Amino acid sequence: MSSFIALPKGVTEEAFAKAIKEYRALLGEDRVRTDPASLQSYMKIMIPETAELHKPSAAMYPRTVQEIQAIVAIANKYKTPLWTVSTGKNMGYGSAAPATRGQIVLDLKTMKKIIHVDEELGYCLVEPGVTYYDLQQYFKKHKMNLWVDVPAPSSMASPVGNTMDRGVGYTPYGEHFLFSCGMELVLANGDVIRTGTGGVQNSTSWQSYKWGYGPYVDGIFTQSNFGILTKLGVWLMKGPPPGGYMPFLMKFPKVDMLADIIKTFMPLRLANIIPNACVVVNAGWEAAGHFTYDKNGKGTNRQDFYKGKGSLPPKVFQQIMDKYSVGAWNFYAALYGSPEQVALNWKYVSGAFKAKFGKDVEIITEKEAKDDPIFEYRKQLMMGGSTLQEFGLYNWRGGGGSMWFAPVAAARPSECDKQMRLATEILNKYGFDYVSEFIVGWRDMHHIIDLLYDRNQPDEMDKAYKCFDELLKVFTKNGWGTYRTNTAFMEKVSHSYGPDMRRIHYTLKKALDPNNILAPGKSGIDLNVPL
Amino acid sequence: MTNTSRRGFFKTFLSAGAALAATGAGGQASRAEAAVKGEIVGVCLFVPSLGKASDFVELMNNNARGDWTVQPLTGSLSDHYFQTKALYEDARGKANTFVGVVDPATFAVVHEAIVDCCGSFHYISYEDSNRVTFSAQL
Repeated sequence: MSSFIALPKGVTEEAFAKAIKEYRALLGEDRVRTDPASLQSYMKIMIPETAELHKPSAAMYPRTVQEIQAIVAIANKYKTPLWTVSTGKNMGYGSAAPATRGQIVLDLKTMKKIIHVDEELGYCLVEPGVTYYDLQQYFKKHKMNLWVDVPAPSSMASPVGNTMDRGVGYTPYGEHFLFSCGMELVLANGDVIRTGTGGVQNSTSWQSYKWGYGPYVDGIFTQSNFGILTKLGVWLMKGPPPGGYMPFLMKFPKVDMLADIIKTFMPLRLANIIPNACVVVNAGWEAAGHFTYDKNGKGTNRQDFYKGKGSLPPKVFQQIMDKYSVGAWNFYAALYGSPEQVALNWKYVSGAFKAKFGKDVEIITEKEAKDDPIFEYRKQLMMGGSTLQEFGLYNWRGGGGSMWFAPVAAARPSECDKQMRLATEILNKYGFDYVSEFIVGWRDMHHIIDLLYDRNQPDEMDKAYKCFDELLKVFTKNGWGTYRTNTAFMEKVSHSYGPDMRRIHYTLKKALDPNNILAPGKSGIDLNVPL
Repeated sequence: MTNTSRRGFFKTFLSAGAALAATGAGGQASRAEAAVKGEIVGVCLFVPSLGKASDFVELMNNNARGDWTVQPLTGSLSDHYFQTKALYEDARGKANTFVGVVDPATFAVVHEAIVDCCGSFHYISYEDSNRVTFSAQL
């Protein structure tokens, strides 16, 4: 019987034991864990696969770049794959569990230095274990008027992890990779490189000028397994003056209004009158926010409204909308600038929506929202604040199953409407509800659908997998790519982008990591799996 | 809420976790393997939507007798995260058992709070789709 809970593919117990011995000589016993209790936290997945498929063999906690260099040397020697996580909060995308069984989790949460914050130019340089909350606290402590754009799990996620997975947020700096500037990486051969102008000795512009000279390489290290990121530059917003931030909500009563909503706000978005990554949230997502917030202390969830099998009938959806006073669509956006700019832009925005929808739009500003917790959560997200309210979604159906299906749409009204209808049809066919939001990018929509299911029910696990698979196939056939996915579907999504793209990913992998030691399987790149 | 099946659940699972914690056995316990109970000094987290504090005190003492403190998680999910971190850190050195009964959304953040304190778990179990119980190592 093995003394390890899992072994990397192709590595014998004897070789693995030797590798662990060397890792422990380097880091010490405490920072190289193979005991089941220590590894259990990496197996808390939400995807519809057994945790056995994603069971790690060990977890390691380096503190320095030099330690990581020494780790990759040992990994190359024994061919022990390393699954790197920063804070490991990729919930709904695979959490902190490796893509394949037996990898060693290289957990960088122990690298927590905020190396520099530049208030003058608005940027920071951070290590992987620094969370958005850490940065917010730093700004507060040093009385800096800076905002960092956050994803939904802002209190505990890290800028490094989210940017490396090309996550998005909700302020004008919502496209995280776009607003990153300069990386430091350890390559599989142990080399340390700094991208952008970071290679220039005594560079003064590493975090202020992105492109450097020659081919720009930062992109190949995102959603990839070509290097281990150890430092990242992130651009920060200057907070607007008092009166210069105006979050608002517009509620719409009917599902088929989506196209008209998009038709109304996209010109405002393209003109930067609405400058932020605003969101159009469906009734399910919006209502789920209330499922932990019953003011009488009573927990509410989907079962309180519907005990039948299958997806919610439209009339039940309507009951939920009525109870919580949420729209079929709920458009959250914000205006930023001087108070005068905000007042002027509000005239354009409110005027455009009133002209289009008349009495069919309910407009809510902070004044009307009062202490509404869901408005507050959106307000926080659009100003780089701290909230975890999005996880209220997990009370929708219960059972701990969640997968983000995340196709991209060009921000055209008819296209978004078609995606919504197709997704609803497929989800309902398998008995699941359409719970979604569209995050509005510069010219695209991240159509984020939470496929919520009960992981304790084997038939729901099976249905959830098949449903996601069908969503992927149908959306791909319609020409819609998936922007990000979970570890169960990385290879399939990779194939959806065509053989030529896969070939170039593999070519880069062979060149940079010929022993396949860095996160095999990430984004479908694994030299042990044929093209 | 203290019906027979729930009591049965607590008896089997929570006392196993508590006993394992008290004896320092740990590991991936999912059933009542532990037979020997030590002196339990326990903290039990709960969300008010699942019951009252007095219910949980009664349950704990009936099924895994010891010195129990029950802690409601109130406010927003962010509050739950930070409360859990503070309670878990505080329990280290003072208690030997850290368990909880929460809803799935709360569990998502409670789990991360404990992991972010470098904690780990004896077991995690969905009693039903809307109720998660866990025992964390201290």
